[in-house]
Amino acid sequence: MFPALPRSVTPKATGILIGALVSICAPYAGAVQVDAAFLDKQIAAKADAVGVKLSGRCEDGEFQRRLWLDLVGTIPSAEEARRFLADASPQKRAALAERLLADPRFPARMAEALHLQLMERGGEDEQWLVYLTNSMKANKPWDVLVREMVAPDFKDESKRAAGYFMTRRLDKVGSQTTDYPGLTRDVGRMFMGLDLQCCQCHNHLTVNDYKQIDFNGLFTVFQNLKLNEPAGEYKIKWLSEGLMEAKFEFTSVLSGVKGSTGPRVPLGQEIDIPSLPEAERWLVAPDKKTKLGGVPKFSALQNLAEKLTSKENPQFARNIVNRLWWQFMGRGLVEPLDLSHSGNPASHPELLEQLASTMVERQFDLRWMVREMVLSEAYQRSGKKSAAKQDVADELFALALERRISAEQFLRAFLTAAGEFERVLEKKGWDEIKETPLDPKKVQTSFRNAFANAPKEPELKVDPSLRGALFLRNNSTILWALQPRPGNLLDRLLSMEKSEAIAAELYLSFFSRLPDKDEAEEVGSMLSASKDRPKTLSKIAWAMAASMEFYTNH
Amino acid sequence: MLCNPTEHQISRRRFLGTAAGVAVAGGLGGLFSAKAAEAMKANNKQVLFVWLDGGISQLESWDPKPDTLFGGPFRSIPTSVPGTHVSELMPACAKQMHHLCLVRSLCTKDNDHSSGVARIQRGDPKNRGVLYPFFGSSVAHLLGPMESNLPPYVVIKEGQGGFRADDAGFLGPAYGSLAFGEGKPPEDLLRNPLLTETEDEERNALRDVLNRRYASQRRPSLTEASTFAYDTARELMRRQDIFDTSKLPAKDLERYGRTDIGTHMLIARNMLESGVRFVKVANYGWDTHGDNFNSHASLVPKFDRAFASIVEDMAASGLLQNTLVIAMSEFGRTPRINGHAGRDHWANSWSLAMAGCGVRPGVVVGATDDTGVEIKDGKYDIGAVFHTWFKALGIDSEERQYKHKGQPLPLAHEDMTPIKEALA
Repeated sequence: MFPALPRSVTPKATGILIGALVSICAPYAGAVQVDAAFLDKQIAAKADAVGVKLSGRCEDGEFQRRLWLDLVGTIPSAEEARRFLADASPQKRAALAERLLADPRFPARMAEALHLQLMERGGEDEQWLVYLTNSMKANKPWDVLVREMVAPDFKDESKRAAGYFMTRRLDKVGSQTTDYPGLTRDVGRMFMGLDLQCCQCHNHLTVNDYKQIDFNGLFTVFQNLKLNEPAGEYKIKWLSEGLMEAKFEFTSVLSGVKGSTGPRVPLGQEIDIPSLPEAERWLVAPDKKTKLGGVPKFSALQNLAEKLTSKENPQFARNIVNRLWWQFMGRGLVEPLDLSHSGNPASHPELLEQLASTMVERQFDLRWMVREMVLSEAYQRSGKKSAAKQDVADELFALALERRISAEQFLRAFLTAAGEFERVLEKKGWDEIKETPLDPKKVQTSFRNAFANAPKEPELKVDPSLRGALFLRNNSTILWALQPRPGNLLDRLLSMEKSEAIAAELYLSFFSRLPDKDEAEEVGSMLSASKDRPKTLSKIAWAMAASMEFYTNH
Repeated sequence: MLCNPTEHQISRRRFLGTAAGVAVAGGLGGLFSAKAAEAMKANNKQVLFVWLDGGISQLESWDPKPDTLFGGPFRSIPTSVPGTHVSELMPACAKQMHHLCLVRSLCTKDNDHSSGVARIQRGDPKNRGVLYPFFGSSVAHLLGPMESNLPPYVVIKEGQGGFRADDAGFLGPAYGSLAFGEGKPPEDLLRNPLLTETEDEERNALRDVLNRRYASQRRPSLTEASTFAYDTARELMRRQDIFDTSKLPAKDLERYGRTDIGTHMLIARNMLESGVRFVKVANYGWDTHGDNFNSHASLVPKFDRAFASIVEDMAASGLLQNTLVIAMSEFGRTPRINGHAGRDHWANSWSLAMAGCGVRPGVVVGATDDTGVEIKDGKYDIGAVFHTWFKALGIDSEERQYKHKGQPLPLAHEDMTPIKEALA
């Protein structure tokens, strides 16, 4: 069990009371089996306590769409969707989850989701994505991954690309050539769930747990790094570390109180700076000829990365658990994701603590937690309002929350639905149609421009924009994909006679479900009034692609 | 039916915030309070913001110093306001001086472009650890879109267009600008030629039906946001005429000048008339470290024609009554002339021009000494200017605050106040 965060704020709300109990009663008696069933018990207990009824399971169609988007980053084809709906096995949901977890697209999707969270559209780099994907393929433990990112070994070619997180985050913003405070803040946010920005200059004004020393213990380490241009065998920007011989001194701009710190993980213990005789300070002395920086015997960065990712740092495990929960459930157990402190306890404190300690026991196995989450009832809940129509707080997870689809997910889902995925993204089937092939990179960029946030704007919420609306309305690729062409959706629809079959194909293609009676009739009446069948079908397909049911992961 | 007016109003109100909520309520019932009337009035206000990027020389424009040490070769000429002179490079503006309000005593803190451009347009407030919005984003946030439903913050500029979220700072990307590069609409704004307008409307009507069905089983707010985005998109597409340069009347083009700034200013007039809340015209190339005088002899008259024409037109049409007009740069230029016959960056004593709603016409605020180096009278930083603009738009910047993640933040520098002499 982890030591609780310092608790300097008196709990007020009932939800917070549970948090207080947890920290008082720790450690827990006996080992708890932390699995999908445990997650569900925890969610149910809280809902019970406040008298809220949990919504039931979502329908199979909604489930498969959700699971596909989450695990493989796209939606199933109409044929896949139909097969799943027709499957009578009671175990089919678990079986689908296992199948998709073993799909080669799963590591790629996890890498993409991590990339979006870590880089926040601050940059793209192919090698970085390859590194993340390979790491996810190997199910590399999160602590190992973070050590490789925070204290990158540029000499090791297989891990060099991990350094992109640090070098890109450190690289210039606006008129500044480097951004050390920004990097410091981001390491706190991404790996500990703490936004320490305010603490560069003073103790946090509203968060008692965050002190000036917490920022500067990280800052002193990063400030000691030099960002180097590509040189020699390093074809990418790289970092070198200087000697650290003294503590970093700082003064509060508000109180004038002075402080000092060596390398230190926020909320943790300071790392001693050893005093070494001058001749012994470098393991490898800097070489002026090759311009490669030296390697200090005492590497503050290595030490910090070890401590940051160690079992003794409870925030490290809490943070990744919270971020994964957010990714799959639509809301963190702690919100905002980067504002974890004792005055802002988790919605389900015991759940968070047990997940975090189990994560440590299981050597930071991300796939384990993903699997337990998608098998839980909490994940499979319906997103539709319950009959009671009460407005239920998101943090109860009483119904599935609508989640944002990334630009990349949207692109793949749209092309899958339109039946143009292989042609556009895999460059197949152009010969038979005598059209100039579309450039997949350009198509990706145009979707990104339409749906991605600006750099450093985290993509946390569903956020319909004018830009996205104009793109869907007028972009030529969208209209192009919804024209009949051998093997695509429109082509299939035009080969069908009965409006029921057409409606089913449309709804399976876009929403992974079958239409209800009204929806099927709506398609039927549009078709019977139509004078130009291809145009009418294209219009219906477009309306579905531009609808909220398609735009969100629900 | 394409759009349900009730839903429409709700999503608009969501976007507009309280002020518009009051206005809507006022329009519906008899509870027309003074406060509501005030809010309603504020809601008619518009802004034309002319940005001369790089730094126009105050000495070759609003604050000439002929026959002095640093005065340069140009003479000054009288204006429609007795006693007020401007550079001879501005004969057209001289005739509109009775509409203008000059501030000749700006003293700001940054004479570096890369930081100064943003710093000035964000109002250079005290550091709160957050990125403040550009003035356009502030106005878009505080006043929202107009009845027209057109995007509230539009930029007409040379070079690339697009959506610029950065402008909005902590207000969030929804309040960023929509930029028309070369006066042309951003990508994907025009209806695809493969589609007729009727077809486009029909498929949108169906999208609406699907969305309503979806929203009926969920919380409606996300679908409302989507409806608003699509409605705004439709308005923009419908009003393609407002940025179609081929339709600009030849007579007006002659008056405004067949130049970038002339054309862009005409498009700006169209946009303001069509109901865009905030229009920024950005003009580049004013950083005249070398050959300042020839450069200004070429640049200033282009600006002069375009700016004087739009002020004249807006005064004639009445638009000026509701529109705050501003022309400025990130700083002025050094009185001292450098070795390349140029003037460098100068934030110590420079000028800007205003006109329109809330502004006192025909006055000059502040003064510099004979050399133009020191301010003799009424030194103002950009924070005071921001307060002045907010006041002119009926927004009490000394009372009202932003709320950001629960943190109250002042609209403008809290140690500064509006420039009283500049306000009507």
